[in-house]
Amino acid sequence: MKKECIAMLLAGGQGSRLYVLTGDMAKPAVPFGGKYRIIDFPLSNCTNSGIDTVGVLTQYRPLELNSYIGSGQPWDLDGSTGGVHILPPYQGSKGGTWYKGTANAIYQNIGFIDLYDPEYVVILSGDHIYKMDYSDMVKRHEEANAACTISVMEVPWSEASRFGIMAVDGDDMITEFAEKPKEPKSNLASMGIYVFSWKALRKYLTEDEADPNSENDFGKNVIPAMLNNGERMAAYRFSGYWKDVGTLESLWDANMDMLSPESGLDLADESWPIYARSVNAPPTYMGQDARVTHSAINRGSTLEGTVENSVLSPSVTVGKGARVSYSVLMPGTVVEPGAVVEYAILGENCRIGADSHVGGTPESAEEGTWGLTVLAPNCTVESGRQVRPGVMLGRNGEEVSK
Amino acid sequence: MNGLHGIIFSYEKRNNLRELGEIRSAASIPFGGRYRVVDFALSNLVNAGVTDVGVVLNGRYQSMLDHLGTGKVWDLSRKRGGLRVLPPFNYQKDWGVMPFRGKIEALAGVRTYLDTIRQDYVALMDGDLVVNLPLADIFEEHVKSGADVTVVCGNDSFATEDGTYFEKNSEGRITEVLYNLHTPRGYRGLEVYILSTQLLKDLVDECAAKDQFSWRKELQTRKDSLYLRSYIWSGFAAQIRSVQEYYDRSMQLLNPAIRAELFCPERPIRAKGADKSSTYLGPEGKCVNSLVAEGCRIEGTVENSILFPGVVVEAGAVVRNCVLFKETVVRRDAQLSYIIADKDVEVLSNRTLMGHATYPIVLAKGSKV
Repeated sequence: MKKECIAMLLAGGQGSRLYVLTGDMAKPAVPFGGKYRIIDFPLSNCTNSGIDTVGVLTQYRPLELNSYIGSGQPWDLDGSTGGVHILPPYQGSKGGTWYKGTANAIYQNIGFIDLYDPEYVVILSGDHIYKMDYSDMVKRHEEANAACTISVMEVPWSEASRFGIMAVDGDDMITEFAEKPKEPKSNLASMGIYVFSWKALRKYLTEDEADPNSENDFGKNVIPAMLNNGERMAAYRFSGYWKDVGTLESLWDANMDMLSPESGLDLADESWPIYARSVNAPPTYMGQDARVTHSAINRGSTLEGTVENSVLSPSVTVGKGARVSYSVLMPGTVVEPGAVVEYAILGENCRIGADSHVGGTPESAEEGTWGLTVLAPNCTVESGRQVRPGVMLGRNGEEVSK
Repeated sequence: MNGLHGIIFSYEKRNNLRELGEIRSAASIPFGGRYRVVDFALSNLVNAGVTDVGVVLNGRYQSMLDHLGTGKVWDLSRKRGGLRVLPPFNYQKDWGVMPFRGKIEALAGVRTYLDTIRQDYVALMDGDLVVNLPLADIFEEHVKSGADVTVVCGNDSFATEDGTYFEKNSEGRITEVLYNLHTPRGYRGLEVYILSTQLLKDLVDECAAKDQFSWRKELQTRKDSLYLRSYIWSGFAAQIRSVQEYYDRSMQLLNPAIRAELFCPERPIRAKGADKSSTYLGPEGKCVNSLVAEGCRIEGTVENSILFPGVVVEAGAVVRNCVLFKETVVRRDAQLSYIIADKDVEVLSNRTLMGHATYPIVLAKGSKV
């Protein structure tokens, strides 16, 4: 079945900088924004962009992700020609290996891509929160007659040295690429989203695989090799909301951004919906004394206390007299009566005992010691326990160092 | 596959649903913040292990067809069996003009379908019933008891429009079938019946031959020759047949004990998702003693109300004791109490609308106030 364009989504990352949150699941499966998971963003972008065939490359702890994606039906990716396919590493007749790098992951699935004989392949990663029309990027790729198009966005000059930076000419064609340069020549940062002409990519992947010194990585090996060979490389400028949620702080920030559409992250905009597999539960009940302000809430929850500036996933319980502020509560979390949760990320099914205190405001901590408080999924905090700001607890309630 | 087949009746009947029933049958009225009434009957059946369900339709059923789709939401989109939608294809009277006069007539209208039923027993349910019955247990008891028909009855003080009532003896056998009562007595029938497929077909054929269309009249006639056994359900059970019932029953959901029973996790009520974002409460928003679905934006005050997906309550607006259907917009400083707003209603700034607990006002779908 020939397809004009298919997408390959790199979802194998461990997400080690999310520490306890990714102890049992791959980063793209981490809940975000109340009802979503991170992977909902690239999957919904695909379906909204008219891409109906997506390969999801999994490797690290894939169970949660696999069951979440299922048939792909929530994203309309369960068509009879195409749809979403989970692609784990596999054993061939000559043995098999783990995915050695991003480029190797695609290399090992050349057979899958060849099935669709596409003109273009979009390479996506599963750890970014953004809304983007990939068809617009593919159009730019076609018009520039490029072998590769990289989406870029302007970042503040002061931060440019943290990114992969592109230097471009007057036609926005890439002339130079530098990974985390000390003295950046531009402020156009790569967003880790690529469109390749499949013929060209196939050739470079094969060559890259044959090179024993290569790390088999797009940013480190494949893109530089293409540039050195004088391939036409186009930049595609993106200006909307985009955030890498690979760290606890950025994950928390992006959740807070969702509360204020002025941040650019407007999930209520129905012209570009983000789809999710939703749980089946009754609507949220807010009790007689509930005081919920500047917060997002989801179905199946019972809220009887105070919730402010927070993002609550489905099936959350906040008891009477409890207070949750500036926090992100993942599905099934229970905050018992009288407990206080501040500046925290609580993993799925955490239980916060009555009258305990988890986290604290930046002002409450000693100079230089403050941080978000993060609880692993299924962690229980005993009644009355104090959990200081910046502390991370594992699933058994023990302190874990970062 | 277990031995029970489901048939849900969703045809037009005399009712007092006013604007709510103008565009749809009672079974497809939104209820409880995210459900349609028929979701309850379907979930009851599916939770009892029923794999094949027929839905008998007649009159204003577009909304119902949209809602049912392939039956996927209830896992009833199957290769064998699953959901069968039964419009009046085989009805001898003027097609779609005459409503069915009773259940027997409705079943006679789909007589060929009855022959395709693979199971030995059938559960008949009305589409206007909101309940969460342990139907698997009721079915088991039916088979064990040797009854000809199990009649499920409610046990609360609620009367219902055009209800059927049953009296029973101490062994649970039905001794009297009553309807058109001025003052209700006995147990309120929930219009849920379990009987063997063969008996159902025999009754339908016998009655059709005599132009006898009413199921309950048939039960009344045969109360001595058939063993009619009662099953008394003492939990929440609402029949949605008038605006007043709709309103009173909706408001009962604000009681946690009733919610816990109706939405018990062992027997989940399944409903379509809405693909909306999370609900957002603004810095000045206040929402107490209310049920709120997803995708709402609340910047004003909401008390003792039920909000369906995508409802907007702007700053300064006050909503009390209301049921607001999907995408209702209440503009700045408007005030609503005892209002049922159908889908896509917009109430402009500074408007004040007040009904009363004994006469909730219904705003028709799409109206702009």
